[in-house]
Amino acid sequence: MTKSQRRRIASVVRYAVLSLWALVAFFPIYWMISTSFKPDNQWFSWPPVYFPDPPTLSNYLNVWLGAGQYDVTQYAISSQKPLVSLWNSTVIATTSTFLAVLFGAVLAYGVSRYRILSEVRMFQLLMLRMIPPIVVVAPLSLYYSALGLLDSRTGLILVYFLTTLPYAVWMTKSFIDEVPREIEQAAEILGASRWRTVFEIVLPLIRSGLVATFLFILILTWSEYLLALIITKTQVTTLPIELSKYQGTTEGRVYGRQAALAVGITVPLMIVGLIIRKHLARGFSFGMVRR
Amino acid sequence: MPSSHRAISRQRAICRFKLTLLLPLIALFACVLVPVLLLQLYFSFHQWTVYLGSWWDADYVGFDMFESVFTDPRFGWAVVRSLAFATGSTIGCFVCGFALAYLMAKPFRGHAVYYIIFILPMLTVPVVVSYTAEMMLYRNGPANGVISALTGLDVQVSWLTDPNIALLTVALLEIWNWTPFSFIIMLAGLAAIPKEPIEAAEILGASRWRIFWEVQVPLLRPVIMLALVLRFLEAMAEFPKTWALFQGGPGSATETLPVYIFMTTWQYFEISKGAAMSYVVMMLMIVIVLAAIHLLRREKRSLDAMYASEAVEA
Repeated sequence: MTKSQRRRIASVVRYAVLSLWALVAFFPIYWMISTSFKPDNQWFSWPPVYFPDPPTLSNYLNVWLGAGQYDVTQYAISSQKPLVSLWNSTVIATTSTFLAVLFGAVLAYGVSRYRILSEVRMFQLLMLRMIPPIVVVAPLSLYYSALGLLDSRTGLILVYFLTTLPYAVWMTKSFIDEVPREIEQAAEILGASRWRTVFEIVLPLIRSGLVATFLFILILTWSEYLLALIITKTQVTTLPIELSKYQGTTEGRVYGRQAALAVGITVPLMIVGLIIRKHLARGFSFGMVRR
Repeated sequence: MPSSHRAISRQRAICRFKLTLLLPLIALFACVLVPVLLLQLYFSFHQWTVYLGSWWDADYVGFDMFESVFTDPRFGWAVVRSLAFATGSTIGCFVCGFALAYLMAKPFRGHAVYYIIFILPMLTVPVVVSYTAEMMLYRNGPANGVISALTGLDVQVSWLTDPNIALLTVALLEIWNWTPFSFIIMLAGLAAIPKEPIEAAEILGASRWRIFWEVQVPLLRPVIMLALVLRFLEAMAEFPKTWALFQGGPGSATETLPVYIFMTTWQYFEISKGAAMSYVVMMLMIVIVLAAIHLLRREKRSLDAMYASEAVEA
């Protein structure tokens, strides 16, 4: 076997393996999307319907806009307010993420330039993320109810801020480390205060890094489930909790509706993730990958 | 001397600045984390359920709660399940992710498309993953249909109702969901390792296999550790998929630690037992995390040392 033949076989094998995994990775997503366009007799049929025939928008109209709730009462789920949840999710995720990135970047600046946290402390900070949140949710909810933060946006924002802060610090630090110190020294000689140096020189220099960090953390806060399940009750629900209301509906399986809701939750996340796809490795690698 | 005065006041200013930088973190810990952990401690030593009046005058019961946790066979099984689930899914994610990253380490036509498709599963919300799984995995559903079509066999696995398979189903979902994580950091790791040792080994006539095991894997060790450790810890805490899909069932087949704590606290309302259980789990996790931090720091130091010596040579 010549070398070029071997190379061609290797290439074919590679494409075969990658394509197989691409099928595994993409099929569930395809299934979710296609189900969201299926009329109700195809949600749960045998043999499975792979292409919606004919595709319909009724699931979306029903779930998101409440259209046709009464003429198909069989599948209507009362008290659904996905648009309200969408608004809550947006406010909670963006606010908590913004706070995490802002405070995270300032902390990271201190770590990078003044070593306010040693390397051990930086790793210990990660513990906030590594200890399962389930072990603190019960006292947290009692504490919150004492403070009147239960079932409020503020409460959820605060706890998301806390749990995503470690990622924010680590990720922004990796960007700040790349800024040459000479610039700050020049600023100091020119008489800029330390805070001005941080906010008007260093942070603007890592703008794109801050955006990447923001979007990275947005993925985490947008999809969080457990804390939202405990802390929010009736007033404030986020989208993942809204979706989980479809669990055990007495009317039977309403796959098309839940798929339409799921697509609405997932699509923003995918867009965000694809925008920052080049930065994802940095968010996860905690200084273990050098460029 | 004025100059030393200046130096001292500068030192003080820097100290103040450092403190101000740390202040939000300290405030956050003092206002949220510490009270919550103290409350948790209180509940694990005081018998209280929601039916028993106000929580602040619950009876002190000493270590009774911890005793009831350690004598509870369901808790023991939950530990076993969680460890099995975390180990299995971590290895699964890592093997799939590393294999894909290895195949994609060099550029080829279609690279960008595959990359995008491969990271998509990570960008789905966990709850969405379980609901989509529910739509696909019923006995006559599309998952079995596609597997049958690909293998030519009549596959009829009861993914959702067979107690022997349920935990495996969640593990497979976890692998589907988080292989992108291993894939992304292994790909970045492969791109970052120096080319020279590999080229040198090729010139010396080493086989692909030997280069992989004796050059690439040792160079990748920090990244490999990271991929395994982080994934394991997150898998230990996995709750949304397991809960949304199974709520601990069928039977108690998917009752992992987070699920069991959740049920104890929010379905049986045994707040105190739940608190004691949480403390036990927290201690267990802290031991694992400290070991993990030790490992990661060692890897990071060896990496720093390697790059430092390289910089000296260059």
